[in-house]
Amino acid sequence: MFTRLLLSLSSTLGRTQASRELKWMQQAIDSRAVTASLDDMVSRRVRGEPLQYILGTQPFGPLNLLTRPPVLIPRPETEHWVMRLAESLSPTAQRPISLLDLGTGSGCIPLLLCKLWPPGSLKAYGVDISPHALSLAQDNAALCGFSRMDGDKSLSTNTFKAVKASFLDHDFLKHGSSVNPPFDVVTSNPPYISWNEYLDLDASVSDFEDPKALFGGPDGLDFYHAIRHLVSREGFLTPSATVALEVGHTQANAVENMMRGTGRFRSTEVWLDPWGKQRTVVARV
Amino acid sequence: MFKFLSRSIPPLRTQASRRFNHSHKSLVEIEQTNCRLLDVVRNRVDERKTLLEKISQDTSTLDDKVILRRFKELEPIEAAWNRWTSTRQQLEEAVSFLNDSDEAMQQLALEEVESLTSTLESLAEKTFPSLLIPPSTTKHMSALMELKSGVGGSEASLFLADLLRMYQRFADTTSWSVEIVAKNDAEGSGIKDASVEFKGEGAYDTLRWESGVHRVQRVPATEASGRTHTSTVAIVVLPLVEESEMSVDDDLFSMEDIKLEVMRARGAGGQHVNKTESAVRLTHIPTGITVSMQDERSQHQNRRRAFQVLRSRLLDLKLTKEMEERRTTRRNLVKGADRSEKIRTYNFAQGRVTDHRIGLTLKNLNSVLEGDGLHVFIDSIAKHHEESVMADMLDEK
Repeated sequence: MFTRLLLSLSSTLGRTQASRELKWMQQAIDSRAVTASLDDMVSRRVRGEPLQYILGTQPFGPLNLLTRPPVLIPRPETEHWVMRLAESLSPTAQRPISLLDLGTGSGCIPLLLCKLWPPGSLKAYGVDISPHALSLAQDNAALCGFSRMDGDKSLSTNTFKAVKASFLDHDFLKHGSSVNPPFDVVTSNPPYISWNEYLDLDASVSDFEDPKALFGGPDGLDFYHAIRHLVSREGFLTPSATVALEVGHTQANAVENMMRGTGRFRSTEVWLDPWGKQRTVVARV
Repeated sequence: MFKFLSRSIPPLRTQASRRFNHSHKSLVEIEQTNCRLLDVVRNRVDERKTLLEKISQDTSTLDDKVILRRFKELEPIEAAWNRWTSTRQQLEEAVSFLNDSDEAMQQLALEEVESLTSTLESLAEKTFPSLLIPPSTTKHMSALMELKSGVGGSEASLFLADLLRMYQRFADTTSWSVEIVAKNDAEGSGIKDASVEFKGEGAYDTLRWESGVHRVQRVPATEASGRTHTSTVAIVVLPLVEESEMSVDDDLFSMEDIKLEVMRARGAGGQHVNKTESAVRLTHIPTGITVSMQDERSQHQNRRRAFQVLRSRLLDLKLTKEMEERRTTRRNLVKGADRSEKIRTYNFAQGRVTDHRIGLTLKNLNSVLEGDGLHVFIDSIAKHHEESVMADMLDEK
């Protein structure tokens, strides 16, 4: 039976990847992380469903995050730049900082920073319009031990809270929101896939992950324009703030120019991902 | 001085000594059997005296850590030696009373001779050797075992699976925890290669004797003609450095010497792709050691594992080098460095296992593969190693 499953997986994934994924599925069953049978998992995988949804988790840095359709699955490129961002800043419990993550999805970016920075040094917020994303982000926060208790004034741990809001709205965070600027760090992995590219996406992405988390308008840059307006707002960033934005493989220059054009930043740079693609635009006030 | 003293105790061989309880060796016998050992101990004591003179003549040597450490190291040996000489003196005195005219006195002396001789025997046979053999510097280390199937195709892969099971069974009898950290199944059945962590005190010191080529001779299940095949599995056991003992930059390598690559192209990457592409490869430029890791689901985990393996390899390199340096004076060691050497044969037709390094054959192949018999091999080789270290030490001039 195992051989049959391996064969059917191999037909879509190739032999090596198939045996690896089969092993991970078996491990998930052994650790009781999933209730599905190996048979079910393999047939879902053969139909193109992402492994991360089938297993229900994805390791992200030292964290193991929950994944649930249709919320965007955390990517290794994101893991890489967030770990680098964590090393480039050093908040302390004595001088804690605040962070806003735009389009937080699973909450992976703020939660990894909560994990990597010293306890009590970070108060993070995430916004998203998707109720699926908000509930997953809150579940992940609870799983990682960074849930923010209302009225909890203790600063002994880092905290993360996900709030429903659209950063495309003109009055975003303006009226009596529980999330208040200024922010020391603004991060985002906004939807950045363009119209043309959307049609060429692998079915495991386009058929399973939320189009609202992927599709960034005709040229994929719609959300960066919104972010440009936001960070240009008076009092949105602290005087020493850092903005870190993940971008699509061809968008780094355009987004870097946008950030420069605000006149708000002392410096901007582009970070490469592990595969050599320009992946992150980092701007410093 | 020694010879003179030896000659000065003939009374032990007299009538009194014949009444003496013969479960003990005589002093002469003890000194004869252990004469090389006693020479080495005396050398060490002389060395310490010389160091002491140096220190008292020139106080600046007090800042010399090497000298001070050696001086301190030799302290227990000198203490044991002092115990030896004073006991020996008491024995001489006691011996002189063995022929006393007073019967009661003779009896007392005899009892004392007996007890003092047994003290000397224990000093020579237990205390001195334990003080001379340097304590293992790798005692606390866990082990990383890498198994690779060699000649013999699928039969080698099947045998690898048998060996893996044998070590897991073996580990069940210890307090170690076992985890297979990487594994590639062979086409059909069996395992092409595997990496296994044995975590716990003494795992490396115990398992390092398993490094080398393991050979199996049997009729494969798939062989219709019933011909015996010979296949091999190569095993390398590396010291495992626990993550808690690691720092980003330790003396094993510096991050500047590391080239980190991701394997496989990812197209546009980012949101465009949700495939699990987590394989990484590390290259340690000065040594050319490369480590590829792809068994974990994230880059981060694979990188962590890869660094762990790299540390193990580099530490192994360091230990091997140290061992080579020591070996310039020691020739009889069980060879630990040459991993291309065939160390053991598992012969199924005859139901026996032979370890070629010590020429030991066990006729119970099943018990070895079940992990019980393996203890016998590992203990024997460790013992042989210890004896070789001792023998080499005794050869030193």
